[in-house]
Amino acid sequence: MKGRRYLSDRIFRGIFLFAALFAAAMIVLLLVFVTVRGIQPFLPSYPERQSILPFLTGMRWRADQGVYGVGFIIINTLVGSILGGLLALPLAVLSAIVIGRIAPPKISQALTTVVETLAAIPSVVYGVFAAGKITALVDDIASTFGISTYGGSSQLAVILLLAIMTYPTMTSLTISGIKAVPLTLDSASLALGATKMETYFKVVIPGARSSIFAGFSLGLGRAFGEATAVSMVAGNALIGPTTSLFERTRTLTSTILAGLHETVGLDYDIRFSVGVVLMIIILVTNAMIFGVKRHFDKKAEGK
Amino acid sequence: MKFMNRLKQNKDISTDSDIISAQSALVDNPDGVAFDIRDLNLYYDDFQALKDINMEIKDRSVTAFIGPSGCGKSTLLRCLNRMNDLIESSRVEGEIIHKGQNINSPDTDVVKLRTEIGMVFQQPNPFPKSIFDNAAYGLVCQGHKNKSFLREAVEEALIKAALWDEVKDHLKRNADSLSGGQQQRLCIARAIALNPEIILMDEPTSALDPIATSRIEDLITQLKQEYTIVIVTHSMSQAARVSDETAFFLLGDLIEFDTTDNIFQNPRDSRTEDYISGKFG
Repeated sequence: MKGRRYLSDRIFRGIFLFAALFAAAMIVLLLVFVTVRGIQPFLPSYPERQSILPFLTGMRWRADQGVYGVGFIIINTLVGSILGGLLALPLAVLSAIVIGRIAPPKISQALTTVVETLAAIPSVVYGVFAAGKITALVDDIASTFGISTYGGSSQLAVILLLAIMTYPTMTSLTISGIKAVPLTLDSASLALGATKMETYFKVVIPGARSSIFAGFSLGLGRAFGEATAVSMVAGNALIGPTTSLFERTRTLTSTILAGLHETVGLDYDIRFSVGVVLMIIILVTNAMIFGVKRHFDKKAEGK
Repeated sequence: MKFMNRLKQNKDISTDSDIISAQSALVDNPDGVAFDIRDLNLYYDDFQALKDINMEIKDRSVTAFIGPSGCGKSTLLRCLNRMNDLIESSRVEGEIIHKGQNINSPDTDVVKLRTEIGMVFQQPNPFPKSIFDNAAYGLVCQGHKNKSFLREAVEEALIKAALWDEVKDHLKRNADSLSGGQQQRLCIARAIALNPEIILMDEPTSALDPIATSRIEDLITQLKQEYTIVIVTHSMSQAARVSDETAFFLLGDLIEFDTTDNIFQNPRDSRTEDYISGKFG
């Protein structure tokens, strides 16, 4: 009997190990595949060989002329995603305070369900909504300033869309962070003559800052990586960087996606290069957010 | 007095009226009564947690509330700084007269009341901030920004709470790095920094080891020179050691309230005698 149980233990250990290795292998495989394909257009053997520097700093993406520069696309992606994320952040934190502290249990439960549902809505649905409603709104706003837009497809539409899409992720993480701050700290603060608002802003939110940063970086990850919905409102500008909120824009993801299945050769291969750039940007941004968080942690330890 | 003078010098917030009101505390309480509790009833929904409580809590002395769990002693303590307001289902009837005012009145400025009446909780609950920021928290909420004022106030509070010598070299360290007993003294310092007249303590040593407990008890004895202290305790020996007067509660009733000596040596009520002699509890 002992022998058989020992054997099944070993078999299961093998299965677990395989599952873990499989997941790790998939990540490595994906990174290697995208990177290997992505550097192809820059190798000497490639028929329409591109140079790395003009590719990274180029301010034009003219497939019709064979000119591929992602410099302005990188800028547009960063501006759109970060502004979208920063717009969502205060809303997310304030909603989380309402849900985690202020609202009575039943309302808080209902609001949590709403936020979770928002997070689960597929991005293409957000895209349809944005293409139908947000663009119209942007167009209206632009026309009050006497500016005409390309049917509302613009940097502003992307920012608003990404703010809406990153909000649920940031909110649910912040809620769990706020719920993890012990209520005894609220009592301590109130007993020291702090108002409820002072308690939320000086004790509860700082106490939840790890989760707030985690939510922000996950939200930004979603913003950087969002392709479908963004493509529906970006307008895919050919040159840049976009300097006006009402001008068309182009993001790394919308560049990869646009006409992917109707193209071959360099125009197809170069999209892998764009993918490599996107992965690097996400890694660098996460590292920077981590750095900011470290700074806040240190500041919280003392002045 | 040194502290009051410093408050006066700090131009940001303190006005002369603050000082007058603080100094006149004794004038407002001519009988030396910090709280005059009259016909106090408290309900959580339908459950009555306190029943017709009448008692006077003396100024500059230590009053202990004892009794078995659920007897209402902590609830009564939390009435004294209106912390029961935070429990939605609670409802209070009756008066608590403090400095000539009924603190149960809807006109009471609860935030100001809580700066005058400090509170220390059962579990040490320092904020996840530096030692300095913990001690300065109440003053910062009051709007004090002057760095040197805050530094002096923090130092004085930590000295009074018998913590200064242990932490003076690392005030920037997170309060989590302190031991449980140090954390509880920091919580006392945090309350003292606001220069309250009264400190409420809700079983302040129940989470501490015997050595940390005896340090807190020594501290209570020192603090009663300057402050009125009301302490809820599960430990009868603690009540006997630190308090001047003791109130015994049972199921929401105040059974007996007398000097600590009388309660422990000549209790008038047999239930008090049974409780202190350990027959139940």
